[in-house]
Amino acid sequence: MPRSETRHYSEEELLMHLLQEETPEAGENIAGHVRECGECHTVLSEYEIVLARIMRWGLDDFPAEVWDADRLRLLESFRRDQAWLEHRGLLLTLLHGLESAWSYALENPLPTLGYIVVALAFASERTITVLGLDRIMPATSKVIDILRQLF
Amino acid sequence: MTSPLSDEDLVEGALGGDENAFSLLYDRYRNPVYSTAYRIIQSAEDARDATQEIFVKLYRSLRSWNPRKASFSTWIYRLASNHAIDCWRTRRRRHEAQDTDDAGEKAGRYALGDAIRSPYREVAGREQVEAVRRCVDLLPELQKKVFVLRYFQEMKLEEIAAMENCSLGTVKTSLFRATHAVRRVLRKARS
Repeated sequence: MPRSETRHYSEEELLMHLLQEETPEAGENIAGHVRECGECHTVLSEYEIVLARIMRWGLDDFPAEVWDADRLRLLESFRRDQAWLEHRGLLLTLLHGLESAWSYALENPLPTLGYIVVALAFASERTITVLGLDRIMPATSKVIDILRQLF
Repeated sequence: MTSPLSDEDLVEGALGGDENAFSLLYDRYRNPVYSTAYRIIQSAEDARDATQEIFVKLYRSLRSWNPRKASFSTWIYRLASNHAIDCWRTRRRRHEAQDTDDAGEKAGRYALGDAIRSPYREVAGREQVEAVRRCVDLLPELQKKVFVLRYFQEMKLEEIAAMENCSLGTVKTSLFRATHAVRRVLRKARS
């Protein structure tokens, strides 16, 4: 039994039909029903008028010069942001490197500990030698001997 | 004849720092973005500022656009309508703080001035547009968005549903309620 004979369509269904937002099958049924049903036809016509009124709502626009000026401001801001992004790019590379190093340390704790000891020993030896601490404090010369034996 | 560059090409160019590509994107979408903002915010000046802010947001978040998830136009309309709703909220709060009597008096004077200057039909047409405008201003946010995007940007309801992460049924009901409210207001304006 065709649906057109069973009941009237709801206003929502009729609006969707008007906007062609229903399924093709439902569209055929509604079109058939509206041809026969004066009541639904009236509702549909009323919504047609409402949509026409809505579409009369125009745009309160600005002259082209205003938009051109806005575009220039926007492009200037775009340029500034690009320059900043380049700096941020370097920073991001550095952060990415640190992140990789941290992941390696977590996965390989013993070798990482070894690297840290060597780095500290090297730094201590350099500090003592460069600042001449072995001459000021003789005890440090023993430390430097031990550190040199390490390398 | 050269074929126009696709949105994807322009986005790629803009991501690589190509100012010209970004300028072309602006030319392509400035009007629909402004039109969406204008109808949601309902102030030309505020909509113009919002358009500028939307494009700044756009180039800062271009990397987050996924062409497999949504077309560029859908993505930009989402950005535009969300930002416009934020601006509308701010504007509403500002207006609520002002003296409403004063605003009513001003609106009355404006309408009277128009009536004196314009032929009857033109005034009736303007009054209807004004009635639509006021009604849309009072709609809940989702209804307002769906109304503007469907009627003025001609987006399909399925696209709007995907954009808003809600069901097609919800979007259909929102659009119906909004249109129904406008219909009621227009009836009242006529009578």
